[in-house]
Amino acid sequence: MAALCRRFTGFHFLLVLVSLSISSLVFGDWIGDDEGEQFTEELLLKPLPDRKVLAHFHFQSTAHPSPDSGHHHHLFPKAIAQLVQKFQIRDLELSFTQGRWNYENWGGSDPISSTNAKPPGVELWATFNVPVVEIDTTWKNLTHALSGLFCSSINFLESSTSYTTPSFVFGLNVSNIRYGALPREAVCTENLTPWLKLLPCRDKAGLATLLDRPSIYKGYYHSQKLRLTSTKLSGIILEQTLTIVLQPNIQRNSAHSLLDGAIQPSWSISSMFKRNLTGSCVLARTSRILVELEKNIVSKLEELGHGGSWSNSLLDLSPNPFRVIKEVNPFPEESNSILFEYVNSKEYEPLDVGIKWKLPFVWSSPHAPFHASRFLMGSGTERGSIAISLQSTKSDEYFRSKSNECRMQAVVFQVVPWYVKVYYHTLQIFIDQKLQNLSDVIEKIRVTPSEDKKLPGTLELVLGYPCTVQSVALTLDFDKGFLHIHEYPPDANQGFDIPSALVTFPNLHSSRIYIGDDSSVHSPLLLKFQEKNVVLSYTEVLLVPFTTPDFSMPYNVITFTCTVLALYFGSLLNVLRRRIGEEERLMRSKDATKRGLIPLIVSKITSKLRGMPRSKPLLIFAVVLSVLFHYIVN
Amino acid sequence: MATRDPSMICCFRLLFLLLFSVPLIASSSSWASMHHNNWAVLVCTSRYWFNYRHMANTLSLYRTVKRLGIPDERIILMLADDMACNMRNNYPAQVFNNENHQLNLYGDNVEVDYRGYEVTVENFMRVLTGRHDPAVPRSKRLLSDEGSHILLYMTGHGGDEFLKFQDSEELQSHDLADAVKQMKEKNRFKELLIMVDTCQAATLFNQLQSPGVLAIGSSMKGENSYSHHLDSDIGVSVVDRFTYYTLAFFEKLNMYSNASLSSLFNSYNPRTLMSTAYYRMDLYQRPLPEVPVTSFFGSVMKTIHTDAAYMGLSIPPKTEAQFLPGDGGNHQLRIENEPDLEKDGNKQTKELHCIYHEWLNLLQERFENTDAELLFRYGFGTMVFLLTISTWLLA
Repeated sequence: MAALCRRFTGFHFLLVLVSLSISSLVFGDWIGDDEGEQFTEELLLKPLPDRKVLAHFHFQSTAHPSPDSGHHHHLFPKAIAQLVQKFQIRDLELSFTQGRWNYENWGGSDPISSTNAKPPGVELWATFNVPVVEIDTTWKNLTHALSGLFCSSINFLESSTSYTTPSFVFGLNVSNIRYGALPREAVCTENLTPWLKLLPCRDKAGLATLLDRPSIYKGYYHSQKLRLTSTKLSGIILEQTLTIVLQPNIQRNSAHSLLDGAIQPSWSISSMFKRNLTGSCVLARTSRILVELEKNIVSKLEELGHGGSWSNSLLDLSPNPFRVIKEVNPFPEESNSILFEYVNSKEYEPLDVGIKWKLPFVWSSPHAPFHASRFLMGSGTERGSIAISLQSTKSDEYFRSKSNECRMQAVVFQVVPWYVKVYYHTLQIFIDQKLQNLSDVIEKIRVTPSEDKKLPGTLELVLGYPCTVQSVALTLDFDKGFLHIHEYPPDANQGFDIPSALVTFPNLHSSRIYIGDDSSVHSPLLLKFQEKNVVLSYTEVLLVPFTTPDFSMPYNVITFTCTVLALYFGSLLNVLRRRIGEEERLMRSKDATKRGLIPLIVSKITSKLRGMPRSKPLLIFAVVLSVLFHYIVN
Repeated sequence: MATRDPSMICCFRLLFLLLFSVPLIASSSSWASMHHNNWAVLVCTSRYWFNYRHMANTLSLYRTVKRLGIPDERIILMLADDMACNMRNNYPAQVFNNENHQLNLYGDNVEVDYRGYEVTVENFMRVLTGRHDPAVPRSKRLLSDEGSHILLYMTGHGGDEFLKFQDSEELQSHDLADAVKQMKEKNRFKELLIMVDTCQAATLFNQLQSPGVLAIGSSMKGENSYSHHLDSDIGVSVVDRFTYYTLAFFEKLNMYSNASLSSLFNSYNPRTLMSTAYYRMDLYQRPLPEVPVTSFFGSVMKTIHTDAAYMGLSIPPKTEAQFLPGDGGNHQLRIENEPDLEKDGNKQTKELHCIYHEWLNLLQERFENTDAELLFRYGFGTMVFLLTISTWLLA
């Protein structure tokens, strides 16, 4: 019987082997196939004006929509596919950010700033394909699932006080969207590691090997984002981006010691990440590195007479790029940004892309037309007001050259926790320091007032004003609410964070068009750049100081009241129960019958003996015992 | 009563079923009572940068249990604050427990299950007792069973019968005892080792009653637990003494080491700890010299072929020793303590032969040790005493 069994298992094993080999033959072709699952990895490097370098990793995995593949995936992370399937996610964006994007120095109107500049902490929004009544439970389950997946406390977004339903900010006019943000969430290695585990090569091969944790987290800004899009037609598209701003180490150059302070620091991949790039992830369809020179650098190069060259008197790009991709600008008089492409293939020599600056050079990044910031006004721990200000950056000559008919639109989206009780009727709008009539400026407004311990307050507002305006300011008054003692966080003395407000400019887009892009390059990153993304900027997180009770106060109060009560009742009882006459009589009688202790005991014993005449045997027994004891001890 | 009552038949059937199922249940429980998995719950309860050392303590233990074989999905790690990416940390994404900075505890593969504000007494109790919201993912649950050995390590600031959580809440010894009791009732563990590194740690165990629980605390009542040393680069103390010496013990071990729990306990020196380590062993049945440390701090699984899947529930009862990783350890220990064990063995065999031999032995021992005359006098005294009492009663 056993032998038969063995034979059977042997046969089964053979069958499995055969089927495996067949499937590997079939699926082996799929990896490169357009219809199958795909994975691409790209890295964009860009020098920033304030002596820093931007590194933007872009990993994209796609799963085909056909249901016949069932639960099996080749490259696509199973965890994400299950998530999409279980919660019927249509769109999802989750970002973990530490640091604040510097819109003034790092750019405000380019595709990276509009898609990858994120508010500090965690931001999550998602749309679902479920009936409206089920959305809240789906959202709750999703936050729990994500918190387990990414080792973070996203589950705090489950309570209805922390998420909201924006109606028109995200451009999707849908009711099945949910948005939530946790401004104080810490972001560290434990969030990055599960994110990297979603990549088919993890951080063992390809561009992800560069992610040396200490060098990443030393940076000025890092934002790790996960974007999911699921449709019936195209299947699931998972975009994972990591945007880091790093400060390259200044390499002292003895020849130009005088100019060292002015020259931009030279950098290369190995000097910034402390790791070498050797080869690509073999499962990736494309693996490339792009170096971008902004249009302001390019215009300078054109002035110097070498436009589009990578080795000139200003800077040296090494090694030689594989291809140069130029942007096509709608305004032909301006210069365009240039991308230098490197293909990261299997080579024995590490690909160490870097820029060496030769001359001091100052430039600026393209700004958004208005710079948004938010601050608190007022003092004290009772009330205050929030102000959002939009300052013209005066950089966009395009708007200034146009006539006065040009109108600018700005959408403001702000979520405020319930304990900051905003009075929306106090909304005031100043344009160029002049108070405006609200109906002149506001094109559309939607307010969801907060409900105590139930709903956060949400403000969505479309402002319309002429392009030539210098500054726009909004103010809103609020009262600081009282919290229950259990609702205070352990570090309540630090104050409470109000999540970043979002300001978008719906008629400005950050799309770029590149020459010869679609067929020859086929880069998801560049395709992403060509999408019509609305220019947006996040404001600062506000820290609102609150009255925090002394948490030991209840105990003090309890002990103090108890003492007072005890004293009161004690003395009251004493007074009520005391009979002074009786006491005096007792005292007198005590004085009369005062005797020594030993005579008292003797008299008591004798009285006892006299009272009990049958106690004679007991007495004898006691005597016998004492004699015995004496005998034994001796 | 010509026709039999159907309910009676039913009753009989039930009885039969019961009779037959009893041995089945017994055998399955013997299967369940084997030690087949290891879990670790590691808790750092302190917030704020100056409590860096508590996080370093917890992460050191995390690294140790991972190195000794407990996989990440069976470790519940609770860290009350973010130290690795703290703005004050000069070494971003790194945590050290030693001045020499040779070992980064916050490597590339740390999975923190509860962090920041999530580390509360409520969540801690939920993890222990397994009472979660249905939405809570598996990675945040302690999915142990009646065959689990659990290591519960806690560090933070404590006092007489309490442990502070996040500087705002307290876990009291009663709470801990209740949670453990509930765990025992729900068959959530076979053996539990509680290790606490706080001031007056021993007081936290005062209320424990459940069998199978072993507890180690860093200090007795009225004693403080101190930090080991200060790192002038980081600016704060980086490790506590008790944890430091625990780690020093474990650094010498690997997955297959046979060191016993008693050797771990004996390694604590009150002079170097500056406090007295306390062990509560009265609830624990197995002799400590025979329990390898890896039965709590490691997870070395032997695959044992059973026919369980083919034979239903009737599994041949297996002894626990077969399953344990520390077989070799037992052997080694036996060599060390040879005479003692032999004596024990002799006693046991005698007991089997005749119980009152014990009494004789006892009497003989007494005669050897004490003065025979004194004993005789006492005996005589008691006889007289009994005589007088009986006569008095008769009269």
